Amino acid sequence: MYRQIVVAVDGSAATAEALEHAAHLARRSGAALTGVFVLDGNWADFIGNDWQSSKGARQGFLDYIRQEQEEQAEAARGQFEAAVAGLESTQFSLLAGDPTEELVKLASQPSTDLLVVSRQVFQVSGRPSLKSLAKTLAQKATRPLLLLG
Amino acid sequence: MSDNSPGFFQKLPSALPGLVLIVLTMVVIRQWLEPWMTNAAIFGQKGWMVKVLHLNYILLGIICGMLYRNVIFGGRMPAIFSDGFKLSRLMIKTGIILLGSLYTVQGIVKLGSMAVFLIGGFVIMTIVMVLWLGKLLKLDRSMTGVLANALSVCGVSAAVATSPAVEAKASQVAYAIATILGFGILTMFISPFIGHALGFTDLQYGAWIGTGILNSGQVLAAALAFNPNVAPGTSVSVAEIWNIMRVISIPFAVFAVTVWYWAGKEESAEGGQKKTLGTLLVEKFPVFVIGFMVMVALTSMGAFGEVGVKGGAPASDTIKMLRLWMTWIFGFGLVGLGGYIDFKELAKAGGTPLKVGLIVGTTKYVLALLLVILIKDYLVAI
Repeated sequence: MYRQIVVAVDGSAATAEALEHAAHLARRSGAALTGVFVLDGNWADFIGNDWQSSKGARQGFLDYIRQEQEEQAEAARGQFEAAVAGLESTQFSLLAGDPTEELVKLASQPSTDLLVVSRQVFQVSGRPSLKSLAKTLAQKATRPLLLLG
Repeated sequence: MSDNSPGFFQKLPSALPGLVLIVLTMVVIRQWLEPWMTNAAIFGQKGWMVKVLHLNYILLGIICGMLYRNVIFGGRMPAIFSDGFKLSRLMIKTGIILLGSLYTVQGIVKLGSMAVFLIGGFVIMTIVMVLWLGKLLKLDRSMTGVLANALSVCGVSAAVATSPAVEAKASQVAYAIATILGFGILTMFISPFIGHALGFTDLQYGAWIGTGILNSGQVLAAALAFNPNVAPGTSVSVAEIWNIMRVISIPFAVFAVTVWYWAGKEESAEGGQKKTLGTLLVEKFPVFVIGFMVMVALTSMGAFGEVGVKGGAPASDTIKMLRLWMTWIFGFGLVGLGGYIDFKELAKAGGTPLKVGLIVGTTKYVLALLLVILIKDYLVAI
């Protein structure tokens, strides 16, 4: 039934369950499984009206956040690789942009047969609005979507 | 995630659409909307929106910016306008530098000595209060450190400056920023009402909001919302001296909170960015303050002619022109500021950081209000 399953992973305990479900479904259906992590590109915008910091201080902060996000991405990759051991067709994909927008795109892409997402995904290092990511996905997804706790 | 700021002139072509939108918005507000509001009779009172709601071009500009982002563009500034809105930071900085033309060195010393006393006291009190509340509510130490400086010094800039030093996680910074911005926006809109209702002078009002409002952009907006005139002795001239004192204290506050953070960490802890006060002063000192001081020095030497202090000779034509520019530049900058207020982020702020933010923010705001009422006879006019 499924040929391509996509799962959002962030290396946290919250996404472990989503990953487990996605891997199980991929095994049963013989589907390819893609793990996705999104480097949040909206930080510069989020601290937008910080007009007092010098360019260096501002960029220094953005680099600091970026480093944390990259560490998170590595943790996500490790989590994904451990969970998909034994599966034939897998890949880990690192995206950049607004996490909500990127997942909405995936949830509307014809090639996505199923998107598996934890309601807590990307909240480890995320902005407050990412708390409503699952709600937005549920409203906008045009492809099958599996939301987990 | 990179800020990707190649510089003003390289950025100008891509910034043009956003800048045009900002300029057009302010022109429509100042040429048509504000005059209409001044004359329109609502509830039988001519100029009700101006007299009762205290709406002026500053508040209208911020409201328009917020509407663009959150309503018209559905929560996100379209790419075509985003570079122009980013440049609003530069406009506010330029406006603050030009604001130096309102003061002479003597005026700064008179006003600044009172500001140093009030700001110093409030910064220390706020840091101590946040550290105590953080311990009481078992808040993570990094989060407590970020909140301590964000609530005591100047909001987003202080949060940005402190986070790497106290190893704060991105989500901790995000919640601290959302908390202070939410509180700041609320105080930005209610302060002019309270100030007018209590019959505050510009001096009292400027001292109050300069001390009590958390974020610098909101101090500027609240000051101009109370009195949109830019001249010596107006609320913006007072509030910005207070604000600059706070901005100058950023490196010191970052140092103090960093020392507190590392003193409480286990000895085996490694990593993080432990820095000396000297390094912090070089890295975190806001450069535009130097521009402001140069402007004050030039004004004191008479480079722009008479300043127009109360009771003295009238302001020169150059000074009048600079002040007119400032009203426009601040107007543009604050439309941009409104465009960065994201309701989605603010609505999701919550938890213990919000509790600490509300308790400390409100305490600071009310104490500063009571203080300027108590010491009104001691506040020195320039």
